[in-house]
Amino acid sequence: MIVCIAVVGHQNNPLYLQSFTESDDALKLHHIVHCSLDVVDERVNNPKKSAPTLSETFLGLLYPTENYKVYGYLTNTKVKFIMVTTDLDVRDADVRNFFRRFHAAYVDAVSNPFHVPGKKITSRTFAERVSTIVKSFGLNSAG
Amino acid sequence: MGREVSESCLENLLIEIVSSFCTGFYVDKPELAARRIEAIGFQVGHQLSERCAIDQPRFTDHLEAIKFICKDFWSELFKKQIDNLKTNHRGTFVLQDNRFRWLAHLSVDPSLDASSSIQDPSAMAKNKAAQATGMHLYFPCGIIRGALSNLGIPCAVSADISNLPACSFLVRIKA
Amino acid sequence: MANLLAQFQSIKSSSDRLVIAVEDVNDLWPDLKKKFEERLPLKSVILNNKTRNPVPVDELPADFILTTDARLRSRFPQEQLLFWFREPYATIVLVTCEDLDEFKTILKPRLKLIVQNEEREWFIVFVSKAPAHDDHATKTAKKVYSKLEVDFSSKKRERCCKLDMYGHDSNFWEDLEAKIMECIRNTLDRRIQFYEEEIRRLSEQRFMPVWNFCNFFILKESLAFMFEISHLHEDALREYDELELCYSETVNIAGRQRDFGGMEQGDDQATLLDPGKIALTQIVQDDSFREFEFRQYLFACQAKLLFKLSRPFEVAARGYSFIISFSKELALHESTLPFCMREVWVITACLALIDATASCYKEGLAQSDMEKEFYCIQGELFTLCRTKFLRLAYLIGYGASIERSPVNSASLSMLPWPKPAVWPSLPANASAEVLAKEKMILQESPRPRHFGIQRKPLPLEPSVLLREANRRRASLSAGNMFELFDGRPNAIDGSVQMSPVPKVNAMSMSRTYSSPGNFDGSIDRPMRLAEIYVSSEHALRNTISDVNLWKSLSSVKEFEQKYMDLSKGAANNYHRSWWKRHGVVLDGEIAAVYLKHENYDLAAKLYEKVCALYAGEGWENLLAEVLPNLAECQKILNDQAGYLSSCVRLLSLDKGLFLTKERQAFQSEVIRLAHSEMEHPVPLDVSSLITFSGNPGPPLELCDGDPGTLSVTLWSGFPDDITLESLNLTLTATNSADEGSKQIKSLDATILNPGRNTITLPLPPQKPGLYVLGVLTGQIGQLRFRSHSFSKGEPADTDDLMSYERPTRPILKVSKPRSLVDLAAAVSSALLINEPQWIGIIVRPINYSLRGAVLHIDTGPGLRIEKHGIEIEKLATLSPNATNLDNPQSSDNDGSPVTDEVKQLTLIDGRIELVDWASNITSVLWIPVRAISNELPKGTPAGPVVSQRQSVMYGLRTIALKLEFGVSHNQIFEKTIAVHFTDPFQVSTRVADKCNDGTMLLQVILQSQVKASLTIYDAWLDLQDGFVHTGNDDGRSTSNFFPLIVSPKSKAGILFSICLGNTLVEDETKELRPDSILNIRYGISGCRTLGAHSPVPGESVAPDDDSQSLTFRSAIVLQKPVLNPRLAVGFLPLPSSGLRVGQLMTMKWRVERLKDLEENMASQDHEKVLYEIIANSENWMIAGRKRGHVSLSTKPGSRVEITILCLPLVAGYVRPPQLGLPEVDEANISCNPPGPHLICVLPPTLSSSFCIPAGR
Repeated sequence: MIVCIAVVGHQNNPLYLQSFTESDDALKLHHIVHCSLDVVDERVNNPKKSAPTLSETFLGLLYPTENYKVYGYLTNTKVKFIMVTTDLDVRDADVRNFFRRFHAAYVDAVSNPFHVPGKKITSRTFAERVSTIVKSFGLNSAG
Repeated sequence: MGREVSESCLENLLIEIVSSFCTGFYVDKPELAARRIEAIGFQVGHQLSERCAIDQPRFTDHLEAIKFICKDFWSELFKKQIDNLKTNHRGTFVLQDNRFRWLAHLSVDPSLDASSSIQDPSAMAKNKAAQATGMHLYFPCGIIRGALSNLGIPCAVSADISNLPACSFLVRIKA
Repeated sequence: MANLLAQFQSIKSSSDRLVIAVEDVNDLWPDLKKKFEERLPLKSVILNNKTRNPVPVDELPADFILTTDARLRSRFPQEQLLFWFREPYATIVLVTCEDLDEFKTILKPRLKLIVQNEEREWFIVFVSKAPAHDDHATKTAKKVYSKLEVDFSSKKRERCCKLDMYGHDSNFWEDLEAKIMECIRNTLDRRIQFYEEEIRRLSEQRFMPVWNFCNFFILKESLAFMFEISHLHEDALREYDELELCYSETVNIAGRQRDFGGMEQGDDQATLLDPGKIALTQIVQDDSFREFEFRQYLFACQAKLLFKLSRPFEVAARGYSFIISFSKELALHESTLPFCMREVWVITACLALIDATASCYKEGLAQSDMEKEFYCIQGELFTLCRTKFLRLAYLIGYGASIERSPVNSASLSMLPWPKPAVWPSLPANASAEVLAKEKMILQESPRPRHFGIQRKPLPLEPSVLLREANRRRASLSAGNMFELFDGRPNAIDGSVQMSPVPKVNAMSMSRTYSSPGNFDGSIDRPMRLAEIYVSSEHALRNTISDVNLWKSLSSVKEFEQKYMDLSKGAANNYHRSWWKRHGVVLDGEIAAVYLKHENYDLAAKLYEKVCALYAGEGWENLLAEVLPNLAECQKILNDQAGYLSSCVRLLSLDKGLFLTKERQAFQSEVIRLAHSEMEHPVPLDVSSLITFSGNPGPPLELCDGDPGTLSVTLWSGFPDDITLESLNLTLTATNSADEGSKQIKSLDATILNPGRNTITLPLPPQKPGLYVLGVLTGQIGQLRFRSHSFSKGEPADTDDLMSYERPTRPILKVSKPRSLVDLAAAVSSALLINEPQWIGIIVRPINYSLRGAVLHIDTGPGLRIEKHGIEIEKLATLSPNATNLDNPQSSDNDGSPVTDEVKQLTLIDGRIELVDWASNITSVLWIPVRAISNELPKGTPAGPVVSQRQSVMYGLRTIALKLEFGVSHNQIFEKTIAVHFTDPFQVSTRVADKCNDGTMLLQVILQSQVKASLTIYDAWLDLQDGFVHTGNDDGRSTSNFFPLIVSPKSKAGILFSICLGNTLVEDETKELRPDSILNIRYGISGCRTLGAHSPVPGESVAPDDDSQSLTFRSAIVLQKPVLNPRLAVGFLPLPSSGLRVGQLMTMKWRVERLKDLEENMASQDHEKVLYEIIANSENWMIAGRKRGHVSLSTKPGSRVEITILCLPLVAGYVRPPQLGLPEVDEANISCNPPGPHLICVLPPTLSSSFCIPAGR
């Protein structure tokens, strides 16, 4: 299951972070997301590493840790999407698809004229859309 | 994106914006009005670019981003691409649209050099026509600047309509 | 074939170089051995690798072994194929021979015999013992050698070389080496080919039942080993990789359930770095190897080669992924393995890998990005190790001393518990330990956080350990399957129940049987936490064979030591890699331990870094976690500046992150410090906490020089009210950059409530211009603070947010100096002189309030202010320009009672205070004055024009006005008003008619001077000497036509009939009057708004009409008429051409004697007559003599002409010069024809030659 999805601005500042765990330990997810930015930076800055995913928005698996997986996505506008999931067999295709839908939701959210760019995303509709996308992700990976 | 708006409406809106800022809120403060209009354009460009760039491969250098502006972004806005792109490969780009739609219905004395008047709004007080045109140019300039800066390229954009209906935008990337 | 394994191993260990066999035919070896072995190892060899590509090998060690040596003797033919790698790679045949025949007969056949074996690569070294000087010997040697060559060398291959023992030739050795290499190369190629074929043959059947991995392994490894000894490490490595691949795809084919391994004592220590650790023979399992050991073995071999290739970073990289994958593997078999085997193995593996790679790695071995990566992996290894170690520590009850930080929570709370088939149960007689643990649990309490911050501690366990453990124990007795799944479907559990391995049971049984009572007890009764700790501790002790590891788990202190080491190791490596954040975060962990051990200095340093990281990227939630700790350190270290700023930062974090109580605690800290005496007080930046902005709307407008009060909006982020001892704001002028920013202070302490505050500041007068808010400074207690940030509180700011430099809204506008008020005289027309009159002064404020204004009145000479009341009233008829000047807020006054209100004011030493209702409207001030002049007005004869000048000066008075107004009377307006006073009438007289009897009618013409109608009640004339009234009245005219009303500016006339008559003087005392006085008693009815009016009623008003009537006296000069004219003066007509300016003309007068005088009958018949020309020198230039005598004969009728030349200077109607005869009494001169009063002078003909005098 997806435990956390986060949007990180181009100055690596958190714009949106939603955890889907029942216990209120979102802080550790903050930590995971924040640290995974290291990997994103490495992918982007280190030419050798980023060779395959040079021009691709989907950064793929950032962390090969044994108890959770962190996937990354970097838009053209230097906004990062970080997704943390605990199920260990995930198909890349699913994640790509997930991120694509999430990106669409994000764009709609920030296109809201009342949204101040660079500030946290507070739109409720966005949150709802995200949660539906996350739920459906579970279904996709299952089926 | 399926959503579109009537061009005439947009043009009227633009004219309204300009007039309300120049003659309404900031009379005799053209630079302030200019900044405001530019700011509006900036926001528009900022958010439009977010949407247009959604399924683009990531840009590795400035040129790609500029190309994106010239091709996809411009056709998103005007259903046509930028006609001519020049660059000195040191952060300065000139995007020329041979028939810039938003100036199509604007009658200006082509002799006056609007580019100079864009540069320093103070000089615009001299020539009313130039001022009006210049004001209409701040919006697209802002759009381009917004889009680019959202793509992580801070820059300054100015426009030159010395030979209408062609309009060329000068993009200087802040290194 | 697996039985060959042992032998294979021994061979491998024994022979580690490639062998060069030496066939010593005529035992030359002993004396050549040394020389030959000097050549080893072989330098710069070119060998062919598996793909027939030449590979340079710079050093190739080898051994020369005699063919007679035992090592080469004992060989079984069937082994050779397999162990071919250790066979000689070249064979050197050493021969010598002095005699040709001997060669033919003996040596040659023997050599043939030797070299017939096709297997081996050989060549012949012919040693000639011939001394250099002995020609014969050398010759024969040559012969023999040439023969040798003929017999043994072939076209394609040169198999002979010659060594002169005494004559030394260097090129022999190159020759030798070349040949050796050639041989080795060929051999190698052949053997590679052989192995290749074998391997292919085997690997084709690797999915068949006949498959035997061991054989494949031996072949493959032989090949690899051959590569290794011939220093083709790359190829060797490739072989091992292929081997691993093949193993992993064959090791568990369905149906072949091998046991996994890892059961032996000491298996918990990873052996992934030395291949020799385990004997392959022990891990062989029917036809393959046990996975646990073998995979480590394979990796070890690879690692060894990689190290030889000096690529430690690759070892690290491969090692890390190997550990990850292998620990997954272990997880699959966890149920069969000892308790926590997996964790322990990972720990040891990581440590081993770290040590090995770090020691082999030298700075700058690889290029920088590779290096960064290397350190990154090191860091990862440390982290992994750290995590597992923490897990173990938690299991045995050290959880309390593990910081419940996001990092640890992230790594532990998602890490599943170890899943042994059965949870280790409590050993016998462990009650003491249990008690100890119980105590520990009771004692443990999360150390109170600073500021009394309460947080639910982050979890360090995926699920409650107590439940987990007891359930796993229960699962043994009541083995309900789904109980085993703990929520998430996982392959781990999958393997649990599918293999109830006897071995584990045995193990746990053996432990439990020893305490039967405890056993069944432990089934029904769930364990307590302390028991769980103890039991797992015991289990671990059985698992862990590494002494050091166990030691570091033996006590909390040791644990923390190890924990520190691991954290530091990880952090330091991360710092040198790309992953700065990881490093800094771990620094935070280290800092936490320091903090716990009261090593505040180091802790603070590290926390600084962490906070900087989080703050820099705006991760407030995480920042809120560490910042309090930093603050605590700073407080203890008495770093007040740091502590303060930390508190402020805490306060300015998102409100949701802390409870109000906590935020209040922060604030109280700030206050406390602020009011304590700080030895060196620091300026505090509260930009994030107190923001300010001018009020929305237009800026405050002030006139030049006016003070004002500026009201500013402050947003306070403090949770409670806070008192600011002082508060200053700087104003910066936008227009003029040169004069910097002015400071305005609030007078007294201000109290900010949380949220929005509006404060007002007194504003001293400012220079004209636009001002914006600069910076806010002030004091909390002794603490100076400053804030630079404008509040974004207003929605107005949001639309500016995009524009690059946001235009800060001007808050104050001081306008340029302008006229704020105007004072003017209400009436322009003249007032009555010598009478108390109202002077109206119009006070007109120009968009400016005159509240509290004071008017200073200073009357000039000849003007006096009457004592009593000054009046003020609204200017009734507002002139149109006055209305639009009145500012809107006063416009409502129009038509209000104010309009006709008249207020009495009193003049206190020249000052008047204006009333408030008049502050915004145009009002008029009435001041009673009296113009004093004590000279008598003169009547003038009608006709001749008198110049009015003196009479204008006569009526003019001035009043100097000074108005002080403005908020603090700072504005001053000064004006001097001229007032014109005049007499009611201007009197002129003429003799209307002359009768024969000598009575004359004197007509007095009264010209009214004022804008008011005058009523004449009475008028009489007091005549001068020489005149008397006809009749015996006093000349008072009959009063039946009085009163006579003279309307403004109109004329009236009065006739007096008088006659000459020398009034006999009764008494000399009565002086004779030079002129006669006209007295007029009159009344005036005028309005003060128009001009002259009835005098201001004095204090003592006697209401009788008499008081209303004034008297006006005017002197009149009467001249006697000419009675007996003796001389007549005639003015001769002017030239008809008319006069022009600048044109000379002559004027002529004729003087004629009418009759002579009897009184002077002088003898002489001529009489000198004095004449004089009277002319206004401004109009005329007289050319001739102005004054002189002319002689005139005394007989009557005699006449003389007087001509003078004169030049008119001005055009227009001017009085001509007149001729006067001073010596003759006026009464005796008659003028006929009389000279004209005015003559016309034409303007000059245009000519440049003539210039009009300047100033004209």
